[in-house]
Amino acid sequence: MRLLLAEDDYDLVLTLKKDLQAAGYAVDLADNGIDAEHLGNENIYDIAILDIGLPQRNGLDVLKNWRNTDNRLPVIVLTARNAWYERVDGFNAGADDYLGKPFHVEELLARITALLHRSRQQPGGKLTAAGLSLDEEQQSVTLEDGQTHALTGTEFRLLRYFLLNRGRVLSKSLLTEHVYDFDSDKDSNVIEVYVRRLRLLLGKKCIETRRGQGYVFRNDD
Amino acid sequence: MQSIQARLSTGLLFSLIIAFSALWLLVSISIKTLAEDYIASRLLHDAETLLSTIEFEKDGKLTLADQRIDLVYNQPFSGHYYVVISDEQYISSRSLWDYRLAPVVVNTDEQLLTKQPGPEQQSLLVISRGFIKQGNPVVVSIAEDLNPINKNIIQFQYGFSALALGMLLLLVIFQVIILRRSLMPVTSIHTELKKLEQGKLERLNTDSPAELRPLIIEVNHLLAVTGDRLRRSRDALSDLAHAIKKPLTVIQQQTHNNDSAEASKKTILKQTDEIYQLTDRILKRARLAGHSHGGALFSFTEDLPALIKTLEMMYPDKTVHLATDIPADINCPVDRQDMLELLGNLLDNAYKWANHNIILSVSKIDNNFQICIEDDGPGANPDKFSELSHRGVRLDEQTAGHGFGLAIVADMVNDYDGSISFQRSDKLGGFRADITLNCVSN
Repeated sequence: MRLLLAEDDYDLVLTLKKDLQAAGYAVDLADNGIDAEHLGNENIYDIAILDIGLPQRNGLDVLKNWRNTDNRLPVIVLTARNAWYERVDGFNAGADDYLGKPFHVEELLARITALLHRSRQQPGGKLTAAGLSLDEEQQSVTLEDGQTHALTGTEFRLLRYFLLNRGRVLSKSLLTEHVYDFDSDKDSNVIEVYVRRLRLLLGKKCIETRRGQGYVFRNDD
Repeated sequence: MQSIQARLSTGLLFSLIIAFSALWLLVSISIKTLAEDYIASRLLHDAETLLSTIEFEKDGKLTLADQRIDLVYNQPFSGHYYVVISDEQYISSRSLWDYRLAPVVVNTDEQLLTKQPGPEQQSLLVISRGFIKQGNPVVVSIAEDLNPINKNIIQFQYGFSALALGMLLLLVIFQVIILRRSLMPVTSIHTELKKLEQGKLERLNTDSPAELRPLIIEVNHLLAVTGDRLRRSRDALSDLAHAIKKPLTVIQQQTHNNDSAEASKKTILKQTDEIYQLTDRILKRARLAGHSHGGALFSFTEDLPALIKTLEMMYPDKTVHLATDIPADINCPVDRQDMLELLGNLLDNAYKWANHNIILSVSKIDNNFQICIEDDGPGANPDKFSELSHRGVRLDEQTAGHGFGLAIVADMVNDYDGSISFQRSDKLGGFRADITLNCVSN
């Protein structure tokens, strides 16, 4: 999952970025409204965390501009003032969720997970498919036979993206985009390696290869 | 910006110059016309007198009975001349000497008024008229020099100009004086404002000209508003300082006691949480507009649906039906941000606890704005009701996190000189909050 963090408070960004990366998100930063709006329109993000008090362009304006151009990027709005009118204005502008500062990182992570599930029409709780269930907090997967395996960071990110996009054909470049942030080394061959490792773990049938197109996670519903 | 004084003076000067010039022109032209008309009628008279002295002898020779003609026609270049012409015969007054007037052609019983130069730079007004005398056509021309009258007119014009100039000056001076006097209250307001700044005055004196009174009333209103805000932020500041002391002390103590690292961490977290909440609440309270609102008012048709949408997005897993009982024509005299804060906190509470139903009813009786929110949740312990609605509880004595939203509501109600009460809902069986706000519309 690739996440856009638009926040200008440097101290907050430092810790937040680490926490978000630890939770398996590829994080890109924007420290002003104009950059944030531009990046949000790149169509590579799965979710955005948007501070209202951004310099150069107010977060609410950024959000309104996205929505006016039919950009449906799921957005969690952050604000320091935490007043109800701001909350209402935020939702009116098209926010999907709202969090007042200060907040606990766990709260933000829970909301990100919930919003991602919601935006992909997934029920709340653990992601389940084909008899396996993914624990997003522990970053582990439980198989049909009840065995739980811990996942490495990249394995977890890849599997979560597959589970949230079941039945869709996902090209290697798309997977790369959503699993890595701007700063990472991007090599689409690495995706092949990780897909092989996931197959080894979950069984071959879970992820099908479509020659020349990419991969599909089996949709059993 | 240019001073009012200068602008009014130039305005007055210009309009007066235009008015006086127009008057001057009108009067000059009228006088000239009148004088010439008058002279012309006199000349015609003279022409008729002259006609009576004309005789045609038997051989057709034209003669004049000189002795009956005014002496002025005999003095050379006196400015009064006549010329009589009949066919080839020409008689002119002795005053003309050997100067000849330009010949004019006039039919019988017609007259013609012309101007032409005369001898010695005179400018003549000439009236010529055709007659029939003893069967012979005669043209009699009488002329008079206009220079003396023109001189008079010019003299009059000079006099008029001098008078106008004097009047102009006088009017401008009067205007300056009047303006100075009427702007005097502004000067006194200026000194009052100075005193206000120094804290010697509380508000401006409203005893001033009608034009300035609205301004002064506005300034006084503004003073009240800013005073109110100042008081509130001062209160908030001292509240905050007091409230933060306790958690800070607790945190400070952590450095002395021998608690385990885990326990210390917990305590510090709890106390910082409390500091956050206190700060939040006090900042919110400081932001309440109260009666001194300057922003937009809450609209039940626009803002309430947005608020309900917000709540529905905040509780996506709940299916709560919110029934409203709001008169269609009600207008809410409460600041939008304040009202959103109040309804937001109360409805948030209701959404949190309700099973399926919430009722929001609003009514307005005189200046009392009443809001009632009921839900079908578990409700609160009746013993707690009085505690919840207790006003004036010191901030640092209230448990942070518990009823935090309600505490802000209580602050706001306090701000609006209202009341708040809690009870069990008869209709739905859950919690019921009644709020009355006193809204004096100004």
